[in-house]
Amino acid sequence: MKRPRLAEWILRRAVPPHAADAILGDLFEELHASGNRARFVLNVCSIVVRYAPRSFRRDRTLTKERKAARMESLLLDLKYAARSLAKRPSFPIVVLTTLALGIGAATAIFSIVDGILLRPLPYADPERLVFVNETDAGRRMTFAWPNYKDLRERAQSYESIACNQGNDFSVLGDGRPRRLPGRLVCAPFFDVLGVRMQAGRNFTADDDRDGASPVAIVSDRFWREELGGDPAVVGRTLRTAERTFTIVGVLPPGFWFARPGDVFAPIGLTMTKDSGWHDRGNHFGLNAVARLKPGVTVARANEEISRIYEQLKREYPNSNARTGGQLMPLADRFVDQIQGTLVALMGAVGFLLLLACVNVANLLVGRGAAREHELAIRAALGGSRWRLVRQLLVESTLLSLGGGILGIAVAAWLLQTLIALTPEGIPRIEQVRLNRTSLLFGFAAATACGLLFGAFPALQASGVRGRHLLARASRTSAAGSPRRTRRVLMAVETALALILLAGCGLMARTMLHLNAVETGFRPDHLLTARVILSGTPWDNPDRRITFYDAVLARLREVPGVTNAALTLSLPIEGSNWGSVFMVRDKPVPPRAELPTSAFVPITPDYFATMGITLRAGRAFDARDHAKSARAVIVNDTFASQLWPGENPIGKFIKQGWPETSEEFAPWREVVGVVNDVKLNGVDQDTPKQAFLPLAQNPSRSVAIVLRTSTEPASIARAVEAAVQSVEKELPVIRPMPMTQMMQNAVARQRLSAVILGVFAIVAIVLAAVGLYGVVAHSVTERTREIGVRMALGAERGQVQRLFVVHGVITAIAGTIAGLAGAAILSRWLETMLFGVKPADPSTLAAVALLLLIVSAAACYIPARRAARVDPLVALRE
Amino acid sequence: MPPAPLGELEQLILLAALRLGAEAYGVSIARELEAHAGRRLSRGALYTSLERLELKGLIRWKLEAGGPERRGLPRRTYSVTPRGVAALRASQRILRRMWRGLDDVLKESS
Repeated sequence: MKRPRLAEWILRRAVPPHAADAILGDLFEELHASGNRARFVLNVCSIVVRYAPRSFRRDRTLTKERKAARMESLLLDLKYAARSLAKRPSFPIVVLTTLALGIGAATAIFSIVDGILLRPLPYADPERLVFVNETDAGRRMTFAWPNYKDLRERAQSYESIACNQGNDFSVLGDGRPRRLPGRLVCAPFFDVLGVRMQAGRNFTADDDRDGASPVAIVSDRFWREELGGDPAVVGRTLRTAERTFTIVGVLPPGFWFARPGDVFAPIGLTMTKDSGWHDRGNHFGLNAVARLKPGVTVARANEEISRIYEQLKREYPNSNARTGGQLMPLADRFVDQIQGTLVALMGAVGFLLLLACVNVANLLVGRGAAREHELAIRAALGGSRWRLVRQLLVESTLLSLGGGILGIAVAAWLLQTLIALTPEGIPRIEQVRLNRTSLLFGFAAATACGLLFGAFPALQASGVRGRHLLARASRTSAAGSPRRTRRVLMAVETALALILLAGCGLMARTMLHLNAVETGFRPDHLLTARVILSGTPWDNPDRRITFYDAVLARLREVPGVTNAALTLSLPIEGSNWGSVFMVRDKPVPPRAELPTSAFVPITPDYFATMGITLRAGRAFDARDHAKSARAVIVNDTFASQLWPGENPIGKFIKQGWPETSEEFAPWREVVGVVNDVKLNGVDQDTPKQAFLPLAQNPSRSVAIVLRTSTEPASIARAVEAAVQSVEKELPVIRPMPMTQMMQNAVARQRLSAVILGVFAIVAIVLAAVGLYGVVAHSVTERTREIGVRMALGAERGQVQRLFVVHGVITAIAGTIAGLAGAAILSRWLETMLFGVKPADPSTLAAVALLLLIVSAAACYIPARRAARVDPLVALRE
Repeated sequence: MPPAPLGELEQLILLAALRLGAEAYGVSIARELEAHAGRRLSRGALYTSLERLELKGLIRWKLEAGGPERRGLPRRTYSVTPRGVAALRASQRILRRMWRGLDDVLKESS
């Protein structure tokens, strides 16, 4: 039988040698008798576990006295350290502030990264979960229900799969009607995720069909806050505008899917025959989550889904010509918007922390140089080299721990500020807090800093020789190793500062470009809100049209409102209805090449309210009612792409596929052209847009836009009251000034810009302080030399120049290194940049210049002091 | 100095060593405990207990050459010292005193 060498080796490490032979002999004997290797290994483990702590205890008893002596001298070191730090409090204050800023910023950013990217999703075996969606010519798109059903039946890669659709509910009942986020899900949804209800039951297949009695599952938050934590919640009714549900389950605390949700209902309830779900051309925001079978990789599952969509393409060429399928790990899908930003910020904060360390190291080296005399005396009196080094290490550890504690306080404050600044829609941001992991990170960072910045002065002190230093300290040498170390550290610091400045500069340029974007409308004094006419009472389009008219009339009466309109889609917020279309006077291209446009039903005053200019033709008016001829107004992009050089007025277009019947997709006459308006965010190109009269396309979801003469936010409550005077239980969703919506649209970039801006300011201050310290120290050290120079006839200006030039040369060396670093590293920012290239030469040149000017100023102040040295005094000293 | 009172495991190990006489070593003690006391002892607990008993001077050992089944490694055979015997007696006395008068309560129905 093979000898279990590893187990034997481990045992011999844990057990005292005199006992090890006999014990191993016993174990081998038993192994020989039973042949049970597992038993053998288990025995070894139990012995190792029992012996390991004993060996520590034994050690302690044997060397108790030595330990006590060591402890005492460590206490002495601590006392010395505290005393020497307290003697000149400005030094520890500067060091602690630097460290607190560095560690605090790093801990805060790490907490966000940890909460969003690192912490596993709150599901069972989350690494086997994938997010599945369709693609339209390669771009991500949601499922058509029949495609989803085919995929579910044909795919072999999944253990289980469930579809879902983000859906808000207008919850009625006590108090104001409100719109709460939720989700429509297939029955197995929670089983796929492996989530168990804390009360009640999951959905069953019987709940998940058209005509089933409506049931709902609510979140832990909803149950606690809105239902008062009622223990008899299962069986209670939940009244919404859509339908009245019976609550059958309560989700566990912390459940989260793509965004916070309060109400979950079976999607089958909405799948009535004429709902449009059963049309293969309709993609109604349906996504799917699947659990891969054990051992199936994402790549293999993707190969399979591609094969299935190839089949579907052949079977349904009409609807699936450009449709593909795609899946990716669920965790990646949730963070793909923010991952790049977070990684870039984490990198930036790493540089800031490094910069803080280098700065502190620099200060400590300077301090060490100033204390050479003291150290030399201690060495001469018989202090061993190790004792001196340890004294310095104790000091730096004390500083880093203090910095760590302060840093965590800074992190707590910074984290709150950052979370308040974060744009909407960042996954799990509401769960980010300073937890044990972040505290651990903070202290690890502090310890690492302590070792890093403590190492330099300690290494230097280790070279101390009593005789040698006593001699040197009194002679004020011209070139010493501390000064070289400090200059190298200084150059590193300048390089790091430049990298951070470059990041900040690029983001600042991005923000300038974003704010200067021509949106095509006047966003000031504009209030937006949304209402959704859900539920069976609104099935009748005439009722909706009556409501629009009534609500617009009421809104115009609100004091401060000068104009009011309704629209399906708001600029910046994005399109709610994209569709292919055809042009009557052009040949119909192959299906895969049919043009697409955003379609936006609006009321007649929309352009006037928004401040959009009519380029040609007319706006909609009373002529365009439900029964009149179908009209359409297109934007510049639409007109110039479809009819370059032609007059678009009087042309005809039809929304939909060639075979779509006239009843659903009539031909519409182009009656006007308006200027381009940014539709999807600020940084995306304007798509083709076609505006339709809302009366001819009475959508259920409409946004209200109001031009105001007062501060728009101030009339939000009055607007809500006006809407509810027409329809008592209709929630008014997110009343918001248009300017705020635009701010939100660039929030990701703004957040990065703000953070990098703060980092850059801290960086440049640290670099300036560091440089000032180096030059000032060098002036003090060379006072006698200055005296000699001046006595021999040197001009004040020359002396001054000498020091400025020395400092600036260091800064230039650092700047060049930093420029190289920035050129490489700025690529990480690429996804956030707008209107500027990552290694933009003019930005890099500008920040390099700024840094050099600040460096020169930092050198100038101590250099001026050097020039004012009185040669007589200097020489007499 | 009177011997310190013995723990239950210590008593069991000492008794097993006495029962085994000259054949008392790690493997046989473990078997004895399992067979007659119904105790399955982890090897870690066994060897650390033996070491503790040795430290208290209640047990001693001598090395014997091991055969091929032990891959030539030596064997520690244990014997209980007079101090160990005294300690066992003391424990027995304590138990007897505590049992006295409780026969009615603790009598097992036969």
